[in-house]
Amino acid sequence: MVKEIIVIGAGLAGLTCSVKSASKNMHVKLFSPAQSERSQSVMAMGGINAALNTKREDDSVDEHYADTINAGQHINNHNAVEKLTSDAPEIIDWLSKLGTSFTRDDNSNVDVRYFGGQKKMRTAYAGARTGKQILTAINTECRKWEYKDKIERHVGWRFLSLILDDNKVCRGVFMINENTAEIRDFYADFVVIASGGMNKVFGKISGSLHNDGFVTGKLLQQGIELANMEMIQYHPTTIETPVKRMLITEAARGEGGRLYTLRNGEKWYFMEELYPEHGALMPRDVVSQSIYRVCHEYGLGIDGENKVYLDLTHLDEKTVKIKLDEVYDVCMNYLNLDPTREPIPVYPGVHYFMGGIRTDDAHKTNIDNLFAIGECSSQYHGANRLGGNSLLGAIHGGWVVAEQLEEIQCENDNSKEYGKILNCEYEAYENWKELQKENDNVSSYEIENEIANIMNKTMGIYRTESELKEGLDRLDSLETIHVNSHGSYYDYILLKSLVDIAKAMLSSALARKESRGAHQRLDYPETSDKYLKTTVISLDNDELKITFNDTEERMGW
Amino acid sequence: MVEMDSITVIIKTSESMKEYAYEGDLNIPVTTLLERINVKHDIKIHYSSSCLQGLCGSCSMIINGLPRLACKTFVNEEEMTKKTHKITIEPLSKFPVVNDLVVDRTSMFENIKNSRQWLEEEARINKDNLEFEYEASQCLMCGCCLEACPNYTGEDTYYGAILPVTSSKISKQEMDMDKLKFLKENYSNHFYNACVKSLACENVCPMNIQTQRAISIMNRHSIWKFHKLLKR
Repeated sequence: MVKEIIVIGAGLAGLTCSVKSASKNMHVKLFSPAQSERSQSVMAMGGINAALNTKREDDSVDEHYADTINAGQHINNHNAVEKLTSDAPEIIDWLSKLGTSFTRDDNSNVDVRYFGGQKKMRTAYAGARTGKQILTAINTECRKWEYKDKIERHVGWRFLSLILDDNKVCRGVFMINENTAEIRDFYADFVVIASGGMNKVFGKISGSLHNDGFVTGKLLQQGIELANMEMIQYHPTTIETPVKRMLITEAARGEGGRLYTLRNGEKWYFMEELYPEHGALMPRDVVSQSIYRVCHEYGLGIDGENKVYLDLTHLDEKTVKIKLDEVYDVCMNYLNLDPTREPIPVYPGVHYFMGGIRTDDAHKTNIDNLFAIGECSSQYHGANRLGGNSLLGAIHGGWVVAEQLEEIQCENDNSKEYGKILNCEYEAYENWKELQKENDNVSSYEIENEIANIMNKTMGIYRTESELKEGLDRLDSLETIHVNSHGSYYDYILLKSLVDIAKAMLSSALARKESRGAHQRLDYPETSDKYLKTTVISLDNDELKITFNDTEERMGW
Repeated sequence: MVEMDSITVIIKTSESMKEYAYEGDLNIPVTTLLERINVKHDIKIHYSSSCLQGLCGSCSMIINGLPRLACKTFVNEEEMTKKTHKITIEPLSKFPVVNDLVVDRTSMFENIKNSRQWLEEEARINKDNLEFEYEASQCLMCGCCLEACPNYTGEDTYYGAILPVTSSKISKQEMDMDKLKFLKENYSNHFYNACVKSLACENVCPMNIQTQRAISIMNRHSIWKFHKLLKR
């Protein structure tokens, strides 16, 4: 029997899983709200890490492993990172064979460059648009399997909920077509979630609007455990634009960009003074915290505002316009600023979620037959992610899950009907329709805005118990409000999901009474060995339950 | 510097034409304009968007008569808007409209799939081709080139500039001879015989992909045999 796989999300993680599974003679249903070209993966600029050791620097997988664990402050799943880093060179080779236009060095090897938190040149890249270039290559491969009917693409569908049987085994998914509002059930032997980060709880962040976090929130409601929800990465260099905070890639510092502010009228290269060895290329959590301190503790933000300068003006103009062309374009288009002539005003902004659906080294969740990969999963990056490890993690997730799907025996019993649960989904939809007829409902835009305000206030670079508690109270008060979602059922159910993940984040941050990586508590500034653990959070009879578990714990199925 | 002004935003959909007054900063892209109108009027004008910074191709629409990415089109830079204090926003016309400004671009992806745009063998690596392959890989599949094309209707077997763009990259990387032959035939059938070389595609491409270069590469591949015959 051919195994049936459902993949939710068609970014790099979902695509890789689909392509690899199809090549192993499985049949894939690939769901996404939009085509792969629209996914957040195309926004990844800087590169993908692999110890290729082509620069005579004696780089090794062991060092890639050590740097990843150190940056994650030792709460990564060590077994997962070991496999991630040792598979990395093979992944680059695979991508290259698929036709990824990696930038190459004089010897025609895939070129590698410096990135934050790594002393060796280890970040492979494709111009200034590594994510897009890789996605084009894997998407090209995906077409082949679509043509051969091994991958069945469903575009325009949003995930509604998992279909779980009486034994809490995952049997499939309910989906809703955003255009027609059709609700349908789909069954498979395995379900793989690749739905990305939880961007929308913070309003608009550097990433895509599609990665709103609905799936993660819904899974929490259905009894799936989440992990390390307090670990939220602030990227050190984002710019304020009328659209949103946009990212200036770490490659800008990798190519030699410097951070400074003005002290007594003179340039102070604070990162180079505070951290002589890595300078501006310290791991992201450290750089963000330093910029925060410069602005808030020393009061040295440029013009008294929350910003410092990222300076590229000393770099060769060609480096900026070619190797960093995206930086050049973004600055010119959205700031009217030429980065070859003027420094860029930057400040940290929310960029990545290290935490998410709790997964072990095999990407298994606590529910049988359910996997999670890509940014929505949580095992690789611990308390802080290295630049260049997200593309790697996304592709690796798809890669290792496909390997396992081939091995795992399954019953192939998809004959059962789950009509009853489907009726519940219809009922919920009808209830929403009724509710929308009321006149005094509060606009969903207002609620979204309120959630974002709470999150930005309480889950900043530094956190305190009193603010977190106040945030939780404010979130509680949102739950009873009747919402007008402007004719969109999805926008309506999204809000409940957002409130739930926001609460999970705040509760996790409250429970971890220490400072580690991206989680900095002003009231608990020390790092404590007691918390060399994964923060696990779940919903138990409507109450959030938190435990601290061993980082290597397996899911046992 | 914040430029405050008031303009009339005209949303022309297949069902209606609605006008909204907008007052505020005009140094914003059209996606932000639409977002602000939705919030201010507490409505939902449907439009596609994802990255909001010109990387994903979601938000192509017709703005003041031209196909563009809404997230890269700044209101204050629109010449027509400066003169008339109006901005007109419509969905792309060559794809079926789903909702307001949202169109269904499935046909474009189907055409590329049915043109077997993938590699049969491992990619040939030639550093000299890298720059072009990189450029071709930047294609967003946004549909602006098809909208601007005088030959593309979406109703026949002509696929438009996306075909030479993807085909030219694959032809440079493919090592399987049968596949190369197929790519040539496919190109002749679905592009070469119908394109009148207006090159509007190159002019509107938001990624500045040199479609002309892609077309010339594929032309050379496809008419090679004739060339040899003439020599004899």
